[in-house]
Amino acid sequence: MPIRRVTLYILSGAVLLLFSLSMFFVTVASADHTKQGQPTATPQPGGATTQTAPSAKTSDPNLSIANEVCLGCHGVPGETITLPSGETWDLYVTPEMYQDSVHGQMGYACVQCHTDVGEYPHPPFQAKDLRDVTLKMREVCARCHTRESELELDSVHAAARAEGVREAAVCSDCHTAHEVRRLTDPNTHKMLPDVRQWIPERCGLCHSQIYQEYAASVHGSALSEGNPDVPTCIDCHGVHNIEDPRTAYFRLRSPYICAKCHTDSTLMSKYGLTTDVLNTYVDDFHGTTAVLFEKLSPDAQVNTPVCYDCHGVHDISSTNDPATGLKIKANLLARCQACHPDATTNFPTAWMSHYVPSPQVYPLVYYVNLFYKFFIPFTLGGMALLVVLDVSRGLINRRGKRPTQMTEEPDETGQAMAETDASSAADAAGERSDRDEDQDAKTASDEVEEKNG
Amino acid sequence: MSLRSEKPSVTDNPVKVVRSFPRFTLAQRWEHGILILSIMALFFTGIPQKYQNTSWSQFIISSPERLELLQQIHHLFALLLIAEAVYHVGRGLYLLVRRRLPGDIFPIPQDFKDAWQMVKYLFFITRQPPKFGKYSFEQKITYWFLFLWIGILIVSGIILWYPIQITKLLPGGVIPAAYLAHSNEAIVMAIFVVIWHFFHVHVQRLNLSIFTGSMSEEEMRQYHSLEYERLTSAETEDAAESGGSA
Repeated sequence: MPIRRVTLYILSGAVLLLFSLSMFFVTVASADHTKQGQPTATPQPGGATTQTAPSAKTSDPNLSIANEVCLGCHGVPGETITLPSGETWDLYVTPEMYQDSVHGQMGYACVQCHTDVGEYPHPPFQAKDLRDVTLKMREVCARCHTRESELELDSVHAAARAEGVREAAVCSDCHTAHEVRRLTDPNTHKMLPDVRQWIPERCGLCHSQIYQEYAASVHGSALSEGNPDVPTCIDCHGVHNIEDPRTAYFRLRSPYICAKCHTDSTLMSKYGLTTDVLNTYVDDFHGTTAVLFEKLSPDAQVNTPVCYDCHGVHDISSTNDPATGLKIKANLLARCQACHPDATTNFPTAWMSHYVPSPQVYPLVYYVNLFYKFFIPFTLGGMALLVVLDVSRGLINRRGKRPTQMTEEPDETGQAMAETDASSAADAAGERSDRDEDQDAKTASDEVEEKNG
Repeated sequence: MSLRSEKPSVTDNPVKVVRSFPRFTLAQRWEHGILILSIMALFFTGIPQKYQNTSWSQFIISSPERLELLQQIHHLFALLLIAEAVYHVGRGLYLLVRRRLPGDIFPIPQDFKDAWQMVKYLFFITRQPPKFGKYSFEQKITYWFLFLWIGILIVSGIILWYPIQITKLLPGGVIPAAYLAHSNEAIVMAIFVVIWHFFHVHVQRLNLSIFTGSMSEEEMRQYHSLEYERLTSAETEDAAESGGSA
């Protein structure tokens, strides 16, 4: 307690000093002061002076301790702790590395993260091994980066950790602990250009096999050549709330991930690629089923392929690639045979390969479709017309005969007249009976003729 | 509906004996029943698959299991329809070989003349509608369109059922072509049955001869006058012959 009281006195003195100084240089120095003061405070603008005063809670940073104080010990190699697991925990922090990090550049103090080590000797740190240290330090990042932390808690990594997979990534596994890199432009919030190439390398630290596949793929190889258009890991998998890609739901939804770029006409025109890939996929039998169940029962195991079942997951190759490209017949057949083992040479063309049928490609399909486009309206329309004419002729016949019918069948005609909106059924029936009467007359006359003959 | 026109004659002659003429054999009536059953089942299991983007279809196909069930029912009734088609054509060929196939259903030049006269009648160019034999040209259209379309549906359906075996013989393009043909043809047939067949046998007049197997003398005289004349004249000839011999 006495030590704490002393620090309290010192700090209040410092606050008073700062306050008086700021009042003194109120006109010129105020702008400069807040600029410098902000990084030392918790990042809340305007409240710099009040927040420098530490409270009694240990979680708040003890800002009286300059980085130089920490680096006095930790800036010299050789500072280590042996953990209960027997592993050696190196406590050395390269001062230059920290200075170059985004936190170092913005002037954050060591104690803003390491809030509980403000005293010397440091309070004991409970960790059984190195991984335990890393996992525990996640909370440090979460203190400021709340949003990212919460997103990460929804991720496949967090789920794996909850199941006891300690290797699953936390913040510092990707971002590092002390060399945290600036990733986005502070003004535009857009990703900095050289970051894109860095991302797969970070994921590749754990997912090394996938990284190798990706690096050799059409996307990965273009990325290494500096192409800014190709997707990196996060463009498909997301950033902090990385979803489990092994679920049925992810699989069924995946065509839309590919479609994000592959239906973008400005992007695709740069590479001479068609943007019809999604709609042709959805129109054809595979996509029809996949898209249907993506909507209806997203957790269902559906056996029709999605984009990556044919084009590859991370090892996506150009369709012109001689070894794996799907424009080469043998490669496509091999892909088909993965699900249709008995497929033979002609089978792959049963799938229209994202083509829209035209007189040049898939003429048979094109002409069958064209045929029905004309056949349906003309034939059935013609038949419907005949039926309508049949009904109307009957209607007109009956109107013409109404006076005579009135005398013959007063009940029926009265009924028919009462039904002002007589259904076509009644009309047709009436019409037929008229036609029948005509025929009756005819047959009667025929009979007469026959008798005469 | 036909009762209405008969009413006066019934009152005039209450003990009138209604003669009926045999029109369809029992086997033919069964064939028609099987057609109704299989086509309706195929239609109602096929149409949700075609219009799967609609909410009513998605209500039916809500899971891959449901879809599979629907497809299995579709295949089952497809087998029934195929069996019926094979029987029908097979019996026709058998009768043809034995030279006992009745030719009434085959189109003849007179049908085109009848159709033309019907058009003229409907446009008030003539006052007389055409006279028909055993089958009117409208009934022949019904038969042959369904014959053709069921053929197309069976062939395209089999292609879709066995794509791997089919592509061993034919180019792959026949699969998507069959898919389109099957799907469009089913709609054509459904619309045709509703606007053409249902109109002629339910709306225009209730013609249940395919179920009863026979047609009353009245109806025969009205709608199939040529056939009626042929049958009755044959009878009178027979009577005359028997009268002569007796």
